[in-house]
Amino acid sequence: MAISLRDLSVDYNLPIGTAHALRNVSLDIQKGEMLGLVGESGSGKSTVAFALMGLLANNATVTSGTAIIEGREFDLTKPNATAPLRGRGMAMIFQDPMLSLNPVFTIGTQLIEVLRRRAPDSDRKTRIAQAEDALAKVKLSNPKQRMNQYPHELSGGMRQRVVIAMALLSEPALLIADEPTTALDVTVEAQIMREIIGLRDRIGCAVLLITHSLGLVTEHCDRISVLYAGERLESGSVRDVQRQPGHPYTRMLFDCEIPIDRERHADTAQNRFTVIAGELPDPRRRPPGCIFNGRCDVSFADCAKVVPGDYPVAGNAAHGARCLRLVTP
Amino acid sequence: MTRSRRTAVFIATRLASVVLTIVGATLLLFLMVRLVPGDFASVMLGPRATPELRAQIVHDMGLDRSLVEQLWLFVGRAATGNFGEDVVSHRPILDLVLEVVPNTLALAFSALALALVVGIPIGVIAALKPGSWLDSGLALLSISFITTPTLVVSVVLFLVFAIGLHLLPVAGAGNPGDIVDRLQHLILPSVALALGWVGYISRLVRAALLDSLAELHVRTLRAYGVSEYRIVGLYALKLALVPVVSILGIGLGDLIGSSVVVEIIFARPGIGSLIFNSIAQRNYPVVQACVVFIVAFYILANLVVDMINALLDPRIAAGRG
Repeated sequence: MAISLRDLSVDYNLPIGTAHALRNVSLDIQKGEMLGLVGESGSGKSTVAFALMGLLANNATVTSGTAIIEGREFDLTKPNATAPLRGRGMAMIFQDPMLSLNPVFTIGTQLIEVLRRRAPDSDRKTRIAQAEDALAKVKLSNPKQRMNQYPHELSGGMRQRVVIAMALLSEPALLIADEPTTALDVTVEAQIMREIIGLRDRIGCAVLLITHSLGLVTEHCDRISVLYAGERLESGSVRDVQRQPGHPYTRMLFDCEIPIDRERHADTAQNRFTVIAGELPDPRRRPPGCIFNGRCDVSFADCAKVVPGDYPVAGNAAHGARCLRLVTP
Repeated sequence: MTRSRRTAVFIATRLASVVLTIVGATLLLFLMVRLVPGDFASVMLGPRATPELRAQIVHDMGLDRSLVEQLWLFVGRAATGNFGEDVVSHRPILDLVLEVVPNTLALAFSALALALVVGIPIGVIAALKPGSWLDSGLALLSISFITTPTLVVSVVLFLVFAIGLHLLPVAGAGNPGDIVDRLQHLILPSVALALGWVGYISRLVRAALLDSLAELHVRTLRAYGVSEYRIVGLYALKLALVPVVSILGIGLGDLIGSSVVVEIIFARPGIGSLIFNSIAQRNYPVVQACVVFIVAFYILANLVVDMINALLDPRIAAGRG
């Protein structure tokens, strides 16, 4: 097992009170595998990533959680617990490539900075050659020329390739991709995902793909974890979860997806999108019982009282969901 | 367009605007001097002036010609570097100005260098731990520096170090040939002129640095394990210097203005004291020539500032900054 995250809980101290962003979230990612972490905005997806990297905002506190990365255990409640891994065992690709590179330094300088950390003993010539090689591997044209260019001279998709090249140079055991294609043109999305998969196959690292797009997950991921209001409601292989969602929330998420070939009405007002009614619960006060109870379409009396455990779906130990219906005959 | 081509176009456009600005400022200046109440010749000669002397001076100054003619003569001469002859000392005005310009430039640049060398580190240290005791202490220090008038600083330094402790020379700019003597004479005036700027620059650097540290590319560097020292001292600082340098360019005018006070207190020959004395004598042609120099200096300094910024931030040269 390459990466294991156990019982991660994170609080944010806000002026209006303490928001519990994550409650006992656990994830496992095998080497060479891609795990899709999905959930709507505010579900705590990115908090998982930043807690792992140790890059949470100052007002965040990790109240519980350990990470096991390449056999080493890290206590995430300690500040900067995973700092030794940054750039050496963990790498990250960010949501907005337009903002994730420094505008006043060349692409080359920023790539070489990664190598300063990863390979402190190598000389400048080797680093330049390695950086150019990485740019070529993420299919950026004219890598030699790109090295001397500034971020503003590149498009969003090209900049995201540069960040992927940075990740490639740092040869991580765990790559976290936080909504890597959200800010990009749809036509670029597939190319960027191809480069991320290429990187994974080249290095054999584990990838945590954070996204709100079920389409990306079903297309590219091996496993899926569904996050809702800071709790993991379901996890399993993409095939199992897609075929038989164990949690009503997961089923409703899949229902919200719009098939690209769905028939459209000529009168656009006639087109209907499926949405999940209701809103996320108040992160400061967890309602009793199931966290999804307020929005669930199949809830029953016990759901408001009993907190469901993680139950296997269809007797499959690798596919679990937190829904009382799974254990109610 | 290639990057070097774009940079060349950028510099050419800026140079053209420099020439236009100097011409415009000179015209404005010429008209403003003519608007000053009182007749130059009668102020020069006092109440006992004979009509013959008056007529002589008015003729020497070219004041008997029409305004358009005067303007034409002034611009024509100024363009070739000829500002006429000083009526008081009977020396070319250009010589008077050029004689003292190096002193003022030495003062301004040493004060600026001092302010940068001290102010930038203070700003960086304050930005490392915003809200800490150290940050608050440095804020108090910086703001006291900014709010203490140059006049007060000059007098205190003068009384303590020159007159009280006899550590440094009292007045003047030093022997022209003796570099050590000249540097010793430069210390107190530079410190007096720089002190407010130390405070100003440190506050600017702190604010700009905190802004650039809040940007997302800093998170990228942190995610790849780049040390906080390199992030603050290199990656964030270079970005933070852009607004600081821009404001420095605007502030250079103020620096020359304050140097008038400093030059008078330390009895240093310079543009400041020359303007002051010339105004006292109502010797407007000399004032006019001095101000043309200050305008030219200010505009050239801002040109240099723009070039430095174009080097710091390539987006400025690309016209996207």
